[in-house]
Amino acid sequence: MISIPVIQASRVVLAVVLAGLMVLSGSATYIVLSSRTSKIAKAPEKPTAATPAPQALTLPGTMYLSQEGAIYSLSGGKFHELTVEAGWMQPALAPDGNIIAVKRDAFSSDVYVISPSGSALRQVTNNAAPARLKYDTGQNHWSFYPRVSADGRTLWMSYDDPKFGYDVVLSIWAMPYAGSLNQGRLWTNAADYTGGDVQPVPVAGGGIIYTKYDFGPDNRLVGRLWFTNRAYSFGKALTSPDEDCRNPAVSPDGTQVAMVCTYEKQVSYLTIATWNGSTLGARRNIVTSQLVAQPTWAPDGSGIAYLAPNASSNGDFQLWWLPKAFYAPPPVPVPTPTPGGPHNGPLPASTPPPAPVVKPIEVTTNNGFDATSPLAWGS
Amino acid sequence: MLAIVLSAVAGGIAYFMPAAQLALDSTGQVIRVPTPSPTQLLISPSPTGAPSAAPVAGAFTVLLLGSDDDSKFVSDHVLTQSMILVRVVPSTRQVTMLSIPRDLWVPLSTGGSGKIDGAYSYGGAGAAIATVSRDFGVHIDDYIWIGLLGLVKLIDAIGGIDVVTSHPVMDDYYPADIYGGWPYDYERVAVLAGPQHLDGVHAMQYVRSRHGDLQSDFGRSQRQQEVLTAIRVKAKELSPEDLPALSKALGGELKTNIGISQVAQMLPLAASLDDPNAIHQVFLLPPYTHGGAPDGSLVAEWSLILPLVHQYFP
Repeated sequence: MISIPVIQASRVVLAVVLAGLMVLSGSATYIVLSSRTSKIAKAPEKPTAATPAPQALTLPGTMYLSQEGAIYSLSGGKFHELTVEAGWMQPALAPDGNIIAVKRDAFSSDVYVISPSGSALRQVTNNAAPARLKYDTGQNHWSFYPRVSADGRTLWMSYDDPKFGYDVVLSIWAMPYAGSLNQGRLWTNAADYTGGDVQPVPVAGGGIIYTKYDFGPDNRLVGRLWFTNRAYSFGKALTSPDEDCRNPAVSPDGTQVAMVCTYEKQVSYLTIATWNGSTLGARRNIVTSQLVAQPTWAPDGSGIAYLAPNASSNGDFQLWWLPKAFYAPPPVPVPTPTPGGPHNGPLPASTPPPAPVVKPIEVTTNNGFDATSPLAWGS
Repeated sequence: MLAIVLSAVAGGIAYFMPAAQLALDSTGQVIRVPTPSPTQLLISPSPTGAPSAAPVAGAFTVLLLGSDDDSKFVSDHVLTQSMILVRVVPSTRQVTMLSIPRDLWVPLSTGGSGKIDGAYSYGGAGAAIATVSRDFGVHIDDYIWIGLLGLVKLIDAIGGIDVVTSHPVMDDYYPADIYGGWPYDYERVAVLAGPQHLDGVHAMQYVRSRHGDLQSDFGRSQRQQEVLTAIRVKAKELSPEDLPALSKALGGELKTNIGISQVAQMLPLAASLDDPNAIHQVFLLPPYTHGGAPDGSLVAEWSLILPLVHQYFP
């Protein structure tokens, strides 16, 4: 027989246990929910912490990219951090083996020459306002998109001079690679209140292809590729306003140009066209399903790399690789001679082999590269 | 067992309570429409006679309002520097966005005439809706107002947005009034062109800068529509884990008359609007508007504007 005090004690114990379980359950639910991290706001990894896809091993040469103000190299399937995170962006290769790049601060940016190992060798521009004029933000300058000509003599860049009050536009400048901006020459006449002229790409035979922003027939600002080989000349428009193209990149053999075209919409197609030294041929949109930025030809012509978000990277731009088979025209069938001697009549048409199915390869999955920084790619 | 399950539910409620509270506070706002004076009715442009788009079942129109609400302004008496009418036709998945120039000189629903961006400051959302509705002859179903800092935090809370910026935005005298101590400071801005991932601050710089744009507010309107489109695309990826961060980001910076249940119905619809060719953007550039109105504001050529508007907004 169980006494009443024992029953009461059991109930008290049960109540305490139940209360404890309730507190535990409620708290645990709250803690578990709190510990769930949002996928949408997940920060990208540093490239050196990530494992690129196996295809990165097949990429030729060394590629240079920018992420969060640092420049990284990619070679042999591995990333290496060349600079610390300090506003570094827009790397480009110089024929002397060094890298030129932009270092951006809050109010100005400068071009530097850095060694292949990442140490700064020379500050080319000095765009921060002098201390006595710091009160006026307009006394600062921007330099972007530096490129060195193939002969190593000329450094091209976009530079915000001249500017007039609120009318701040980037113009293309050329200066001696070994010299200073004081020896520079204004090369293009940027349209007022447009953002200006950017992304100079030196081409064989002299001159540059660049992107000019200007008002289209519908009064909207659009990008167009232009070619000029004479200082302060308008040059020649290569694309139409309605194509709204930018980011020119010339193939290693100099016969094709890759670019991105938006058709004045929130799309960004990877487009290629033949280039004969003065005009572009018919356009081919070869990637239309992604927001493509900074197409760059492999130094051996084996494909095109570019930056674009993937479906699961939260909109951060990843590195993609497009093998040549994806966009190269199918081979022209070679007629097979009929056995049994010479043949003067028409040969039977041979069936071309089926085009290989090649899709863009995602080299990184969670890196968040700077999509406003061109990729530099050397052999 | 039931008690333990209930306590677990209580833990969940505690977790989502701030978000739910904010949602309740921000949504379902009551619109108070001011009564215009007889004079006001006489000078309002008449929408009659303009061709109208045929009514479409399920279609609705939302007035989006955006305000600088930093310390330069008195709370609840802010100008709406951004005013965009959005019409959504769910059956065809078509979206039309009409940007209304902030400097447009119009009859105000609160009486008299003034720049259209002042309507909200005089009479809140109701006055802004009534002004746009009467002047443009458009039926407005709902409104959403968001403050400057709210937009920055919203974009950060959703992890940034992917935008194809149409051109470099260069501004040597951009207002440094969000995070700085002195709201009249300036800073330099250079948002480069092309597809890119923007955080809240840089997206705000892109849509807000107007010094470097010959078209001033027109150019700004175009950029605002680009960013709105990008936010909509990113919002498709939201999940329940994102709600607390979103509620924290939007605390006091968002108001709408749309109820929570309506929001829940709209989310799948927003996710389905993914064809860039189905998004129509309308801007009131010259000759629809031109200079010459008081205080440097814009004259509205109603004889041109109304037929254009009624093609898209019945």
